[in-house]
Amino acid sequence: MQTPALPVPESRPLVPPSLRGVAPVVVALPVLALFQWLLGGADFASYLLSVMGVNIILAVSLNVVNGMTGQFSIGHAGFMAVGAYISGVLSLQLKEVALSFLPVAASDQVLFMLSLLVGGAAAAACGFLVGLPSLRLRGDYLAIVTLGFGEIIRVVVQNTDSFGRALGLSGIPQASSPAMVYFWVFLVVLAARRLAGSSHGRSLWAIREDEVAAEAMGVDTTGYKVRAFVFSSFFAGIAGGLFAHFVPIINPGSFTFVRSMEIVVMVVLGGLGSTTGAIVAAIFLTLLPEGMRSLFSALGTEGSLAQRVDQIRMPIYGVLLVVLMLARPQGLFGSKELWDVLPRWLPRKRRGLA
Amino acid sequence: MAQLLQHLINGLASGTIYALVALGYTMVYGVLKLINFAHGDVMMVGVYMGYATAFALGREARASLLGVAVVFAVAMLGCALFGFLIERFAYRPLREKPRLTALITAIGISFALSYGFQLDIGFLPGASPRAFPEIITPTEWLIIGDRDVVVWNWQVISLLIAVGLMVGLQYLVFGTRFGRAMRAVSWDHRVAALMGIPTDRVIALTFMLSSALAAGAGLLYAIKDTSVSPLMGLYVGLKAFVAAVIGGIGHVPGAVVGALVLGLVEEFVVGYAASTWRDAVAFGFLILVLLVKPGGLFGRVAAEKV
Amino acid sequence: MSADIQAVAAKDGASPALLHADGVGIQFGGLKALTDFRLSIHEGDLQGLIGPNGAGKSTAFNVLTGVYQPTQGQVRVRGAQVNGRKPHQINLMGVARTFQNIRLFRALTALDNVKVACRAQTGLHQMSTGLGAKFAAARHNYADWWKALLLTPGFQREEKRLTEQAEHLLEVMGLSHRRDEEARNLPYGEQRRLEIARALGTQPRVLLLDEPAAGMNTREKADLMVLIRKLRDDFKLGVLVIEHDMKLVMGICEHITVLDHGETIARGAPAQVRGDRKVIEAYLGDSYLESHGGAA
Repeated sequence: MQTPALPVPESRPLVPPSLRGVAPVVVALPVLALFQWLLGGADFASYLLSVMGVNIILAVSLNVVNGMTGQFSIGHAGFMAVGAYISGVLSLQLKEVALSFLPVAASDQVLFMLSLLVGGAAAAACGFLVGLPSLRLRGDYLAIVTLGFGEIIRVVVQNTDSFGRALGLSGIPQASSPAMVYFWVFLVVLAARRLAGSSHGRSLWAIREDEVAAEAMGVDTTGYKVRAFVFSSFFAGIAGGLFAHFVPIINPGSFTFVRSMEIVVMVVLGGLGSTTGAIVAAIFLTLLPEGMRSLFSALGTEGSLAQRVDQIRMPIYGVLLVVLMLARPQGLFGSKELWDVLPRWLPRKRRGLA
Repeated sequence: MAQLLQHLINGLASGTIYALVALGYTMVYGVLKLINFAHGDVMMVGVYMGYATAFALGREARASLLGVAVVFAVAMLGCALFGFLIERFAYRPLREKPRLTALITAIGISFALSYGFQLDIGFLPGASPRAFPEIITPTEWLIIGDRDVVVWNWQVISLLIAVGLMVGLQYLVFGTRFGRAMRAVSWDHRVAALMGIPTDRVIALTFMLSSALAAGAGLLYAIKDTSVSPLMGLYVGLKAFVAAVIGGIGHVPGAVVGALVLGLVEEFVVGYAASTWRDAVAFGFLILVLLVKPGGLFGRVAAEKV
Repeated sequence: MSADIQAVAAKDGASPALLHADGVGIQFGGLKALTDFRLSIHEGDLQGLIGPNGAGKSTAFNVLTGVYQPTQGQVRVRGAQVNGRKPHQINLMGVARTFQNIRLFRALTALDNVKVACRAQTGLHQMSTGLGAKFAAARHNYADWWKALLLTPGFQREEKRLTEQAEHLLEVMGLSHRRDEEARNLPYGEQRRLEIARALGTQPRVLLLDEPAAGMNTREKADLMVLIRKLRDDFKLGVLVIEHDMKLVMGICEHITVLDHGETIARGAPAQVRGDRKVIEAYLGDSYLESHGGAA
């Protein structure tokens, strides 16, 4: 039947096929619960971990479009904003509501999850609307249109009373926890990995490699690009929703072009197409400003320097992009993944061994 | 009626400025098939050069005709040099690489300039907008009725300068040897190189030309707005890019028409709907155009050579 | 898709050609790259398309496969008119091609190259432009992604089937030993064969091969031609081959179309075409007469 030249490990599967879909989630939940318990009441650590988790979700989801599919979106923060505002407003509306058949804490989490999903769906719908016209055209149009989309979102928010205009939205229930954030981190990584390992993911790679040939081989390139874009926008919306539920206030300033660029830099630095790279770069670039701040205040040289870290890092991001493109366009990881080099007995997905 | 006329004049005036910047996008796209994301920020740098020159000249000198000429000359030449350096050291090494690398580089340069200029370290100006010195004192050039319609002198001047530059550009592209070389490079830069056209020089000159035009346009914009800020490049640049796409990117008269259309649409939305929506108009319009006519008004979606 | 085709097929009568070009022409600016191009391919055909450099052979391929839109005439696939269709839609109707300048997915393995082509055939693609059909296709395709993300048993079976299908095609083309090699690392001749395997992955009825033997030596060329003939029989295909080397085409093709400056200057059986004055003239500028002077 099969005549592969290389021996394929044909051991009996540890998990029956019908359960492979949910098995990782079953494993992850107790781990996350433990993680939350260990973290206890460490406020700053919780906050920093949550920010980091949101950045990972953003970077991994953007990598599906910018890395795997070879398109270039620079308006990820716009989709994040959609998720943040929609789920934030919904949570505000549901603040007084409780599901009577559940204990209060559980009811809050269920409602929180609901508003997250609605926010994600709204972002996905926006992704569809933005992607359809621009993805029919050459890749660079997407860059401009997504950038413009971010601007449109900003203007819409600033003109809508229920979004709090320029002042922002406060009083959103602080329902998020690091466990919830990392549950979504886990989901986005799992989804990205499964996508990359599936033949749908192969079609995305094919589009990145040669769009004309992909089209000639029956790949509906526009359809695939739009689907990838919707996928990516959905998770950006989720990230925004999570963000809105652990920061005290959201305003248009939280979702500017700078935010989008930060995510782009993460993806490019990690290596376009590598989920592992996106994760590593997201962690690194979240901790870097904190590290610089502590370093400057420890040195105690100029008090102002520590405060100006946020200002200084932006031009550095720009220069970093240019230097990366000139010196190492494939980023840290190229398109390689951690699970490509793991030992054999661990569950893994090599290219072509779906 | 008078109000309509006034909006028409204002719209055309800002449209001509967009047109000059849009021409830069279109020319560079023509020769390199690259959307030069940093174009608006190069313009912003040019405006700061003009700003510094105007200050160096002092209050009296800069208000004279010669002073204005000096300000424009310094900004345009300085900007041409700046554009040349960017092309030489950032884009040229990437010319044979995948297109995405050049695009990312352009985005990086744009970001580095627009946020680098917001620092207040050394000569960098800092984030807050500054008042642009009055090199052309605004006066009412034409008043119709009881101030129903007012045409300002700077509107007339910028219209004249813009039209002059456009006519010059049209002659350059279609009437000179350099223009012919440019069009050859635009068709296929490898073949052009085989035919003995100094491709590198043509591309570098195109960049210098488009940067100089941008600096000129930026100064006109700063005179109109009476201010300069590090983010002006991003906004004016994006709108000009939208104009270029509306006209059909790579198409010279198309960029001008697209810019005028955009200027008018923006002005009318601000005048008749709400001024707070101004910044969303251009992009909403862009998405609409891409949906209906993906190649822009005059361009067509070019099929890749297979 | 099938409803579309059947409707037209019923109108046209018994069995329309698999691929039919009727007076097809295309202009780039003022340049007529192809004029009044006619061609009909049926199952079991092995036809050749020849002509000197720049004669419009690849342009003809691009028009037939929807990369370029013809400015005149009609292209029909199994009776259904395909003008204005996108390349992937024409491919799904049963027309597959290779490229003159090899266009593999270079960073993907040989197996994945073929699997991409196999996978594309499983999607539901709307051929009519109606909103309802578009919606149904979108629902189907998004559901397909969900299955991949949830790793449903059905999806796992499907992936396994695709893998087996792709492996079979690699075996047919003698590439099994290259299964997990990245396409860019294959030697030139194997890359050409992989392109054919990939095209076969789309389960075509018509196979268009653009200079499949380019860059091969005489022996390899002969082997390839035997293989092409075998593919035609095993997969029940109609085949159209572009070839620069006239001698080679004469050897295997049953019907030949000769292009020059975008115009069809001769068509017919090899013997007939070989003696045609216009054909000899067209090739004069080439080295043809020097090396094959005897043919005149």
